[in-house]
Order: sequence, then structure tokens, then C-alpha cells
Amino acid sequence: MKDIFLLAYRDIKERKARTSLTLLGIAVGIAAVIALMSVGYGFEQSVTGELVEMADLIFVMPGKASLGGDYIELGSFNERDLNDVERIGDVKEAAAMTSGMEEVEYRGEKTVVDITGIDTRDIGAIFGDVVKTEEGRDLRDNDHKACLIGHSIANDYFDEEIEVNDRINIGGSKFRVVGVLEKQGGFRSGVDSAIYVTSRDAKGVLGNDDISQITVRVRNIEEAEGIAEEIEERLDENHKLDDFTTAMTMGSAIEQLKTIFTLLQAVLVAIASISLIVASIGIMNTMLMSVMERTHEVGIMKAIGAKNRNVLSLFLLESGMVSVVGGVCGCILGVLGANVISIGIGAAFGEGIPAIVRPEVLLGGVVVAVIVGVMSGIYPARKASKMSPVEAVRYE
Amino acid sequence: MIRSEHLNKVYRMGKIEVPALRDVSLEIEEGKFLAIVGPSGSGKSTLLNMLGCLDKPTSGAVFIDGVNTASLSENELAEIRREKIGFIFQQFNLIHSLNALENVSLPMFFAGVGRDERMKRAEELLAKVGLRERMYHKPSELSGGQQQRVAIARALSNNPEIIIGDEPTGNVDSDAGEAIMGILEGLNRSEGRTVIVVTHDTEIAAHAPRVIRMKDGRLHEE
Repeated sequence: MKDIFLLAYRDIKERKARTSLTLLGIAVGIAAVIALMSVGYGFEQSVTGELVEMADLIFVMPGKASLGGDYIELGSFNERDLNDVERIGDVKEAAAMTSGMEEVEYRGEKTVVDITGIDTRDIGAIFGDVVKTEEGRDLRDNDHKACLIGHSIANDYFDEEIEVNDRINIGGSKFRVVGVLEKQGGFRSGVDSAIYVTSRDAKGVLGNDDISQITVRVRNIEEAEGIAEEIEERLDENHKLDDFTTAMTMGSAIEQLKTIFTLLQAVLVAIASISLIVASIGIMNTMLMSVMERTHEVGIMKAIGAKNRNVLSLFLLESGMVSVVGGVCGCILGVLGANVISIGIGAAFGEGIPAIVRPEVLLGGVVVAVIVGVMSGIYPARKASKMSPVEAVRYE
Repeated sequence: MIRSEHLNKVYRMGKIEVPALRDVSLEIEEGKFLAIVGPSGSGKSTLLNMLGCLDKPTSGAVFIDGVNTASLSENELAEIRREKIGFIFQQFNLIHSLNALENVSLPMFFAGVGRDERMKRAEELLAKVGLRERMYHKPSELSGGQQQRVAIARALSNNPEIIIGDEPTGNVDSDAGEAIMGILEGLNRSEGRTVIVVTHDTEIAAHAPRVIRMKDGRLHEE
């Protein structure tokens, strides 16, 4: 066995330039697949990872909503709804929020911003351990005309940055900024562009205290789906409407996202596979040329006693060896490529996506390379093995 | 023993049929030395290919040790070539990427002989043809005569009963040619191998006790 490897290796070595180019073809194909898959996994993790941090949350909204789909608001909740939600077993806490868009003015500049009214006792339920204040402090119960602002509001919405203790005008009333929240981005980017006030102040500014969202934290994450269903049933019953309530758990959001990512991965891999197809044509071409050039040699081997299968295995081994090396090089290139893409995205968009290289993807890359190599080698190898020794030996 | 019966070989060139062998019947006893002579196109190499199991006849039969090779499969023919026949070609036909030792060991590799045994025997055979010092040289680093001696060593590697030479001295100078014929004679006389040589050179043919002449695909015993 060792000898046939040596023989194949010698033949490959004789054709260094052509072998290198074929090898490069496979390597690029495999690298493209691996890089795209690794970046895809990284993207998936960076998105779903944020959601996992919020896995104990249920967002309850009055309307029909689907992730990535439309949201049709059907009204608002009331105190009774909130109390009903709080009474459901396994609900740790439930926080009501009032929100609406309102004009905000800062140093002569005006813009419309999402104003969210919260009960200060609910800050823990709403923000959890994830959203923290960067500067200043949280809202307090006795705060009057005070607000907590998102990172983007403080830094991007106005020409001049808003700092703690600055005053801003919300809906005609002056509010003092008591704190600025840390930058969230991703799925919590809504927090960055919101202004939080006490529910008392929100009623003054927005003109109502309708509950536009209830944020629920559950004790046991595994129960979240069941609790969400129960919330929907109770609140639909309260409002005598089917589908009045949408209670969305992060678990279902993660599932939906994973489906989207799987589809996205499939599309990316399909695109990258084109380069693999091109590479396999490259191997076939190289091997066919090699068979043609070595017709005489095949004739000699057969004349001195090589059976068809000896010739077949020699040529298959050659294409297999080229593809294994190509596959391994492709894995290395793919890992490098994934990191370059990851760094590039980080540099371009400010938010990096990690490149997650899974061992099974690397292994798959090498296996695919070998399959591609051997499949592309079959036809040329069969052609070589079927040669008539007397004709082949005469071939010059 | 090799025996051919009413051997015919017809090549088709498009619609034209070219007969290369016409009703050739021949018997070569074990341990004999036979030269086949004749002008170019007379069918001598075609006959050699049939006797050496490289090609199959259009009709007729070739028996090697009583087995009709015309009815064998390609792989069975390969087996006979490997076990019973050693080929020496005019163009030497060594594999350029392999050195002399590896070229000589190649038929043993196809026969499944282990590496150590193969290398040992290849070395012995190269020593026998006077090329021990050159065993790690590639064909391109050897003279024509030396390459043909490597080819003889290769032909002997599986210890065949029959040695077939197709113009074995055709591409070497006369001294080297004599040396090669000397080796072949030795293989016949002292080792009892059957040697069949095709040549158009009467001097070379004179080494053989039995000479047959081919003309227009027919056989004429001399």
C-alpha cells in the first residue's frame, strides 16, 4: 500500500505546477464554504446569543406580531391585565410600559423619539442584569420630570452630546437627564434610542397611561412557552378578542431565527459550492491530461503485468491525494478567510461578528474535498485502466 | 511451451481491413531461443504481441502451457504477462519518474511481493546485468545500453519462463547490442528460459539457433 502511495506521489511531483494549480482550485472552493459557514455560525451566535441572555423574558403586546413580519396593534392593556399576568404561577415579575412617540428638543434641535414610561419598581424586570447605566443613575420613584436616556439619544440624535444633568424638553416639559444607559446594539438597539421616564411623567407627556407592553420575567425558562400561552388566553379573554395578545418568548424568537439562519447558511453554501464544482472540473481536466500524457506509461505498466484495478487505483489515489491536500489547505485558508471577514465586518460596521470554526465543518471540508477529488478522478482513471496495453505502449 | 494455431490478425483502418497475420501456426518448445526476422510491416511485432499476450488474435489460438490465451479476460492476460513473460522493448520503456531499482521492482509490486523482498531481488538483478552502481539513477541519467540492461533486469523480476524482446538492440550501438544479446543467450543457455526475439538485423538473429522469417503476415521457417 505504501508503495502505491509513493508511486502516486512521484507522479504528482513530476507535475508540480499543474498539481499546485489544481490543488489551489480545490482549496479555494473548500475555503469559500468553510469561511462562509464559520462567519454564518458567528453571525447566528452573536444574534441568538443576545437572545439567550434574555431567555427568561416574555414580551406581551396587544396585537399580532411575528419576528421579521408585520405588527398590527389592536389596542392596549390595562391594570386588570397586568394583575392577571402577575397572578399566573411561575411569573417572577411583570412590568408594564407605556410608550409613544413625542417631540424632544435639546439646545434648539428637535426630533421625535420613543418615550417609555416605566414604574421604577419594575426597572429590574425590564432591564435585568444586561442593561446598565453608563453614567448617572437609574430612575427613582420620587423622580419628577427626570429621565434616563439611551446611548444613541445621548450621543447621536443631536449635534451636541447630552450629558447627565443636562435638560431636555419632552413634549413641552423640561426634563432633567439623570442617567445615560450603556450601548446595547443588536436586538436591544431599541433601548439605545429610547427615553425612559416614570409612568407618572409618561402620563403627563403622552396624555394617557395605556399599557402598550408588559415585560414578564419567568422563574423557570423551560416553562416560558406554557406561561406565554396562558398569558395570551387570559388577556384575549379579558378583551373578548381572539388573537388580541401576542406573548413572545425569546425561545420561540431563537427558534425562528435559527430557521432563518439555517436557510441563510444553505444559500451561502450553495453559492460557495459553485467554486467547488469548478474545482472538480479542474481536477477532472488535470487527471484527463495526465492520463493522456501517461498513456505510454500505462501501456508499460500493463505490459509488465499491471491489472486494470492497479492502474485505476493509482490514478484514483493521485486525484485523492491532491484533493486531500487541497482540502486541508482549504480548511486553513477558510479559517483565515473567516477571521479576515470577521475583522473586516468589525472594522466596517463597528460591531464585530466572531468567526466560529466548528471542527465538524473542517472535517466535512476535507471529506467533501476527497469525495470531489475521487469522483472527478473516476472517469480519467477508468479511461486509463481500460487502455489496450499494445496500443498504449506504442503511444508516443 | 508456446503454440499458435491458425493465427489471424486483421486491423481495421476505417472501412479498410489490413491483415497483419495470416494463418500463422508455430510451436516453440520450452527453453528454446527463437529469432523472428522480416522487413518492417511483415507482421513480426504483431506476432510477438500475440505470443506475449499483449494483444488478442482476430481468429486462431495461442496456447501458453496449454492455456488458450485468446479466450482469457484482460486481467487474466495481465496475470500471465506478469507471471510467465518478461518484455524487452526497442524503446526500453522504463518509467521516467522511477529510478533503476524502482523500475526493476515494479512488476514485483504488481505481483504483490513485499517491499523488502522486492528491493533485494531488484538489486540482485541489477547486479546481474552489471548495473549495481547505477541502481539509484533515473533512466534519463543512463545510456541506451544501460537502460536496456535495466529493462532486461525488469523483465526477469518475476522470474518468467519466457523472455520476449521486440528489437531489443534496435536503439543501442553495436557493442551494447552484442552485450545485450550475450545476456539473452545466457538467460537461455544457463537458466533454460525461452527467449523470443524480433529483429530485422541478421547478425542479431544469428545468435538464435532457430530463425523464422515473416513476410506479408505469413511465416517462413528457415
